[in-house]
Amino acid sequence: MPQEPTDEELLAAYQQGDPGAFETLLRRHRAPLFTFLVRMLGDRTKAEDLAQETFLRIVKGAQAWERRARFQTWLFTIARNLCVDQSRRDRFRRAESLDAQGPEGDPPMAESVPGREIDPGRGAESARLRPLLQKALLELPAEQREVFVLREQAGVPFREIAELTGVNENTVKSRMRYALLGLRKALAAAGISEELAADEPETDARLGRA
Amino acid sequence: MTHAESQDLLVDLAYGELDARRAAEVEEHLSGCAECRAEKAALEEARRLSAPLRELEEPPAGFDERILQAARAEAHHQHDGNVGQVIEVTGNVRPLGLEAARIDAHGPVKARASERKRPRWMVRAALGGSVAAAAALALVVSTTLDARRPAQTQVRNEDYRIRVKPAAPEAVDSALRDAEARREVDGAGAKEQPAAVPPPAVPAPVAQKKKLELLPQRTTAEKLPAKGERERADKNDGALDAVAGEAPAPSAAPRSNVVAVGKGLSGGMAAASGKERTAPAQAQEEQAVAARQSAAAPAAQALSAPAAAPPAALAESREMKAAAATPPKAAGIEASAQQARHAANYVLAASLYRSAAGARQEEGDAAAAAWNLAHAVECLAAAGRFDEARQVREELTRLHPSETTAIAAARRAMREVEPPDPAPADKQK
Repeated sequence: MPQEPTDEELLAAYQQGDPGAFETLLRRHRAPLFTFLVRMLGDRTKAEDLAQETFLRIVKGAQAWERRARFQTWLFTIARNLCVDQSRRDRFRRAESLDAQGPEGDPPMAESVPGREIDPGRGAESARLRPLLQKALLELPAEQREVFVLREQAGVPFREIAELTGVNENTVKSRMRYALLGLRKALAAAGISEELAADEPETDARLGRA
Repeated sequence: MTHAESQDLLVDLAYGELDARRAAEVEEHLSGCAECRAEKAALEEARRLSAPLRELEEPPAGFDERILQAARAEAHHQHDGNVGQVIEVTGNVRPLGLEAARIDAHGPVKARASERKRPRWMVRAALGGSVAAAAALALVVSTTLDARRPAQTQVRNEDYRIRVKPAAPEAVDSALRDAEARREVDGAGAKEQPAAVPPPAVPAPVAQKKKLELLPQRTTAEKLPAKGERERADKNDGALDAVAGEAPAPSAAPRSNVVAVGKGLSGGMAAASGKERTAPAQAQEEQAVAARQSAAAPAAQALSAPAAAPPAALAESREMKAAAATPPKAAGIEASAQQARHAANYVLAASLYRSAAGARQEEGDAAAAAWNLAHAVECLAAAGRFDEARQVREELTRLHPSETTAIAAARRAMREVEPPDPAPADKQK
């Protein structure tokens, strides 16, 4: 079986004028990127907008891209910066508006929960837990949240998260640790602990990536 | 392993980022340290509990569409849309009273109403490095005319034929602008509105001024032309419209940017624009046209060839006669390039340097070719054409990887504008 081209090879092919290569890249990364943004923002509409913008920026920057870094790092750097922008803007608006939510206000959870029809065949327990988890995740400080999502969901190694967020690797790991412990605490406060989730059959099967 | 070391590595361990040796060391410490064991268990429990978050969410249907559209447009633009290579023009737009001042096939169209009696426009168009100038101008005019649909008054038998490649970055840029705008709107709390309505790929017809800016297609990301030039372009807009109102409309001029073929644009408009051609001037023009046509022919054939140098013969009208007969030697082009550069005519200089690079390459002088490319990068950077500068620099790096000094010079020229935004991982090693 021929080996799949790497992201970097695909981008190079796109630079040479092959739009099909870009399509492959897009198909490969759209869901992980979108998921990253949904987790970060807790809002599917915003996540979709930022994901589109991220890919458009990739299109635009593709010619100038030099083969020094992983494509994925570039992709998530853009997305992450757009997130930072977005939250800055939101914070500003909240400060402007008296009847807005508090500084760490709950984003509308309904939007972060995928409809059943999008999510067939997944464990009911998992579907039940996800909104709670998402809520707990959104309560984490943004810098912990991004490390958590990048590592857990996007599978970006700590070293690359450090490059991507511009802090050193030890800081990244320390944020990761706080994120995990913070989540666990929040979940325990919501009555969710290992015993309750234990009968969730898929949990360990999905750890494969780590 | 100390307790502190172990604590530091527990996260790595949980994510499998330790090599076997380190992992074994941590495990060994764990067997004797209840605190670390508890911490490890807590981390792992958190991971298991949060597993549902790892499930991928699919973006809604239609998500790809606009991105792919932009990607295709950009690829097409980058690889077929080398404007400077694609243009063929015969005839002229002189009678519109427009001066194709400092127009370059690779850059934004800047034109202004001619103030001189002498038909300098021809010289300038030639100076612009290619006939794209005249082409682009005529195109603008034709679209303007098309929009106006004035009564046809008089048609002369001068033809013009123009080909300009489609405007790719328009698609990307408009999509991006749109995305940004939507983000603004979303942020403002209007997120109930449908988010993913794909906008038209090409913005609805905009003011002709917009067309002037967008036509050359290559310039989008970039710093726009210097302020003075833009103002001139704006003024020119008025001039265009004014003239267009009285001019005959080429009936077949399409409104797209792709191909405009028209007939008899120039006739009555000379009168309409109130400019008169003196006999010597006309002779000069005709000469220039002849020279230009012969020089432009090969370029026109290479419709989708990668960017080679624009026809150097277009450099200066007084060189044209010679140029049409025998292609100028590399040294001659270099001299012209230098001259243009000293006159701060950077765009022209860049295009000449690129020609010279091609000529040097043919002569087998790779080092000189590389330096010419480096100079082209410098000139493009000086003109604010950073996208093109980058492209030429890539060309330089690709063709002459061993010419490190020239490459370094090109890199230096770009220092101020790099890393580009968004920085494609410029922080990376």
